[in-house]
Amino acid sequence: MSAISRSREKWVLLFPAILVLSLITVLPFLQTVWTSFTDAEITAREQQVNWIGLENYIWALTDPDFLEALGRTMYFTVVSVGLEGVLGIAVALLLNQKFRGRWFLRVIIILPWAVPTIVNAVAWRLIYHPDYGALNSLLLQLGFIDSYTSWLGDPDRALNMVILADVWKNFPLVAYIALAAMQTIPGDLLKAAAIEGAGAWKRFHSITLPWIIGPMLVVLILRTIEAFRVFDIIYVMTRGGPSDGTKTASFYVYQEYFSYLRSGSGASYAVVVAGISAVLILAYYAGIRRDQRGA
Amino acid sequence: MTNNLQKKERTAVSSNPILAVENLSKSYGDLRILKDVSVAIEAGDFLVLVGPSGCGKSTLLGCIGGLTEVTSGNIQIDGQDVTHTDPAKRDIAMVFQSYALFPNMSVGDNIGFGLEVRKVPKAERDKKISQVAELLKIEPLLDRAPAQLSGGQRQRVAMGRALVRDPKLFLFDEPLSNLDAKLRVTMRTEIKRLHQRLNASIIYVTHDQIEAMTLATKIVVMKDGVIQQVGTPREIYDTPANIFVADFMGSPAMNILVADVTMDGLMARIEIAREDGQEPLILYDPNPGEGIASRPAGALKIGLRPEALTDLGSRSVNAEQQFDCLLDVVEPAGSDTFAVIRLGGTEVTARMHGDVDVNSGDTVPICFDLSKISYFDPKSGERL
Ligand SMILES: Nc1ncnc2c1ncn2[C@@H]1O[C@H](COP(=O)(O)OP(=O)(O)OP(=O)(O)O)[C@@H](O)[C@H]1O
Ligand SMILES: [Mg+2]
Repeated sequence: MSAISRSREKWVLLFPAILVLSLITVLPFLQTVWTSFTDAEITAREQQVNWIGLENYIWALTDPDFLEALGRTMYFTVVSVGLEGVLGIAVALLLNQKFRGRWFLRVIIILPWAVPTIVNAVAWRLIYHPDYGALNSLLLQLGFIDSYTSWLGDPDRALNMVILADVWKNFPLVAYIALAAMQTIPGDLLKAAAIEGAGAWKRFHSITLPWIIGPMLVVLILRTIEAFRVFDIIYVMTRGGPSDGTKTASFYVYQEYFSYLRSGSGASYAVVVAGISAVLILAYYAGIRRDQRGA
Repeated sequence: MTNNLQKKERTAVSSNPILAVENLSKSYGDLRILKDVSVAIEAGDFLVLVGPSGCGKSTLLGCIGGLTEVTSGNIQIDGQDVTHTDPAKRDIAMVFQSYALFPNMSVGDNIGFGLEVRKVPKAERDKKISQVAELLKIEPLLDRAPAQLSGGQRQRVAMGRALVRDPKLFLFDEPLSNLDAKLRVTMRTEIKRLHQRLNASIIYVTHDQIEAMTLATKIVVMKDGVIQQVGTPREIYDTPANIFVADFMGSPAMNILVADVTMDGLMARIEIAREDGQEPLILYDPNPGEGIASRPAGALKIGLRPEALTDLGSRSVNAEQQFDCLLDVVEPAGSDTFAVIRLGGTEVTARMHGDVDVNSGDTVPICFDLSKISYFDPKSGERL
């Protein structure tokens, strides 16, 4: 078969997938981009939609509330992904040790990740409950606090509490991938390092970490993209409150659309969020490429 | 010159072993891998550890290196008890069969890793790395990644990483077994040269008979976690402690056959049955030794190396004990020709000169040289 007909065959085979993808992602995205340049609103009545150019974008990028939401999203992303990385690797190191019952631990550690986000969010809302939450009673019994606290009621603290719930849910994924990568390290490498005089930290730092860095980069960038779009856990736990303390960019877009019904400006916010996600995805590919070169 | 790679002055009294392993045992659960192993080496010794696959050689090396927790017994390095010491603090270096080069570091960084861990200043480190690289002829490779090296080059880098630190003891676990035959011979010679030059103390595991014989100052033969014999290559070859060692060391293996041994004056009369109603073979050993002389007559196992059965040729053999034998199979191997003869109920191998003109099925005179005959207890297999 000639190269040309083979490449045509490739496109023929890919066509259905491309068509479906276009219909469900590309078209709505183009529609959103178009909407973002208009003053469209979601109203029941037929209405006139006007092209207003960059006005929505100028508005979005100068809207202090939106910029604040973006900042909050950044904070959420960096802190939760950072903690997931550290905790995931630490747990993987633990699970990679030989000890009695490690198989049991390996199995149950995946549970938080297996639970749907909504269920996890509800569970944590209960744990944080100001009157009968487990966290309050635990901390009180241990003597860390004097009286029950409203964990999600404090605007300065609520986001951190949501981050904790998010880390709890997502660190097992990082831990599993780190563990899988660690298990491919040839035993001789660590033995050789030990004989050469490297202690546990040096062995981790110069053998284990470089070995797992590729897979870690991939999973953490994927987590970053996901965290940047965070919506469901916030919707269930705090609805963006109290006093916007947990209002992230996606939640902001959601409100703009569905609370204020301004689809035009909502779309412009969405495009900004999508643009930032696109940058993150590019970083993800760059990471994979680097990983492949290193291998 | 204060070059650490120059031959070291080992002024210490040699009665002080550099390594002493005493009554070492290692079990995994109920599975006993090493059983009461005791072995010692002097500074400058090249000890080769041989034994069948799975007999515990790597496990023993791991125990000495501190990579494997011992079950009982103790290990001393240079007079210090290190049985439970961290591998990092034992002052040893190890070359792995897999080489275990750190894939994310350059060759130079691999070699210098141990020095870097020990916080040796960069300038000194670089100097030592380049000395070792020169010694092993790998200077052009220092900036490469391990993945960009051939098997032989990786092997050299692994050796370089061990040599650069000038440790008290080197452990080699089958370092040449992943190389092709030719490179293996070259590296073998180089390791021997290095040992002579550095006067290093080495424990070396191998499957290769020739490596064992050529490199060792001392050979330890192990089977199922039990040491069978410790001795110089000559001792192991000429006076194997039991049938296992006799059979394991040497290629082709020592011929072990059943014979009736009786004393005839000061000589031992050895009668070996032959096939098909042929007259039995009667040999005489003029120096049978006390063990045989004091034994009641009876069936024993005797061991004769293939070279003790040979043609007249140019070799100066005692032509007295010469018998016509039927050659079942003839296998020319260049410098030697091996012939299989049926004797004492088994097949034995005779080692004839490479230039003899014989064929399978010929009956030719074979000379029996009993000067290095071994006698074994037929039941226990122990040397008598
Ligand atoms: N971690 C372990 N758990 C259980 N058994 C083990 C373990 N490591 C080794 N063994 C067993 O111990 C025995 C000795 O293994 P070892 O690797 O020391 O053999 P070896 O003499 O080096 O063999 P080879 O020549 O094939 O390298 C083997 O039977 C092996 O199955
Ligand atoms: Mg082994």
